[in-house]
Amino acid sequence: MIWIGDVLVSQGQGGVYNERMLGGARVWDPHRSKLSALYHVGTGIELTPGMRVLYLGAANGTTVSHVADYVDVVYAVEFAPRPMQDLLEVSRRRRNVIPIMADAARPEQYAMLVETIDLLYQDVAQPEQASIALRNCSFLKTGGILILMLKTRSVDVRKEPAEVFQDTLDALTSAGLIVQECKWLAPYHHDHAAIVCTKPVV
Amino acid sequence: MHSYWFGDVVEGRCILFIGDSNAIIDRVQSITPEMDSFIPLEWEQAVLCGACRDRIDYLGRLQEVCIAAAERSIREQYSRKDAELLQMVRTLDEIDTVINLLSERAAEWYVVRHPAFSRKYRRTPAHVLVKTMREKSKGALGKVAGEIEQLAATRTILAKEVSARANDVMPNTSALIGGLVAARLLSHAGGLLLLSRLPASAIQVLGARTALFSHLKTRSPCPKHGIIFQHRRVHNAPREVRGKVARVLAGKLAIAARIDYFRGVPAPEFLDGAQERIDVTGKRSEP
Repeated sequence: MIWIGDVLVSQGQGGVYNERMLGGARVWDPHRSKLSALYHVGTGIELTPGMRVLYLGAANGTTVSHVADYVDVVYAVEFAPRPMQDLLEVSRRRRNVIPIMADAARPEQYAMLVETIDLLYQDVAQPEQASIALRNCSFLKTGGILILMLKTRSVDVRKEPAEVFQDTLDALTSAGLIVQECKWLAPYHHDHAAIVCTKPVV
Repeated sequence: MHSYWFGDVVEGRCILFIGDSNAIIDRVQSITPEMDSFIPLEWEQAVLCGACRDRIDYLGRLQEVCIAAAERSIREQYSRKDAELLQMVRTLDEIDTVINLLSERAAEWYVVRHPAFSRKYRRTPAHVLVKTMREKSKGALGKVAGEIEQLAATRTILAKEVSARANDVMPNTSALIGGLVAARLLSHAGGLLLLSRLPASAIQVLGARTALFSHLKTRSPCPKHGIIFQHRRVHNAPREVRGKVARVLAGKLAIAARIDYFRGVPAPEFLDGAQERIDVTGKRSEP
């Protein structure tokens, strides 16, 4: 990851969302992007130029554009038409962003488009976040990484965030994933946790 | 055989799919592989297939197809009849908020200029007060009052359009609860498809989010009605049967929304029975 002092940046064409520029690089704001927040509060995963990424819940393409600056290709899955319009604009200017308008809970809808991936990144506001991640693990190579941004309030508002977090962790480990790192994203994002797992070599 | 967007791979051999981007989109949308036995594609296969020259060419072509597919789905979703109604009713509610806020503020301002003025013991409707303010105030305050009147006129036109559109898009729901309230239900659900998928109990409390979640989290009583309270059948019903009317009405609305989504035309045989059932519930006030 590229840091200028204690500011996380990415190298690429700027002006995507009026982000601040610093020494010709795009500032990656931890308050706006959960992935950037993870790099600030924890270790996260080093994004490398050869990486192929499946990004679930791409939304307006803000974080997607930063990830795309680092890696080979980002397959960006988004369901809603309004943010998709923005994501398309990002894709038209970035050759390595492949926008896919589909439901992340139904990977069979876009299986024909996606290759084997090194990193599965998920940030969806759905109750079934663990099972969505597990279903999409079919694309992940063995030894590949899953970063799950858990929105605990989307799972169940009545439960305590810590309880939801534990349930999700159990679901992931019982499916055979090895948990590497868990971090709450406070103070940047409240009631959001990042879970980093690896798919074991069988 | 494994099917991918560029062709089919059979026992290591690849058969290129021939067709323009529209045909490829149709292909991608129509074939859904079994995920259990699914093998993700290797982009090198596309080269062997003759679909592209190298990795950059591969990604370029794939991106082209994906952008075209997304543009098509967006167009399809926006061309549904409920998409514009959703924006219309949200704009209407927003205009209402703006009118209220501005009127309150202008009234405060007016009172400062006319210390003897008070709204107590006068049944002046808000729009009459705004008119007075416009006529009696010089400068910006008069302009503001004028703008509020303009906005109110726009609101009237928009409300009529919303009603008319709702009668067209959701004839059965509108027949039960009126075009405006029906459109508000649609707006809260996020679309006709989503509304038609909601259970009656959810429709009953749609728009009472704060009360509902405070009920779920604490022991406060659960809300009896949300937006549907705006309909005279619910708010005119005697207090003791209001919850019951809301429940019956919501039940019938859930059915009406489904007829609207799947059939799209008025269903008189359903409406007659539903109207009667709701009216009977509303009258059964004496124990």
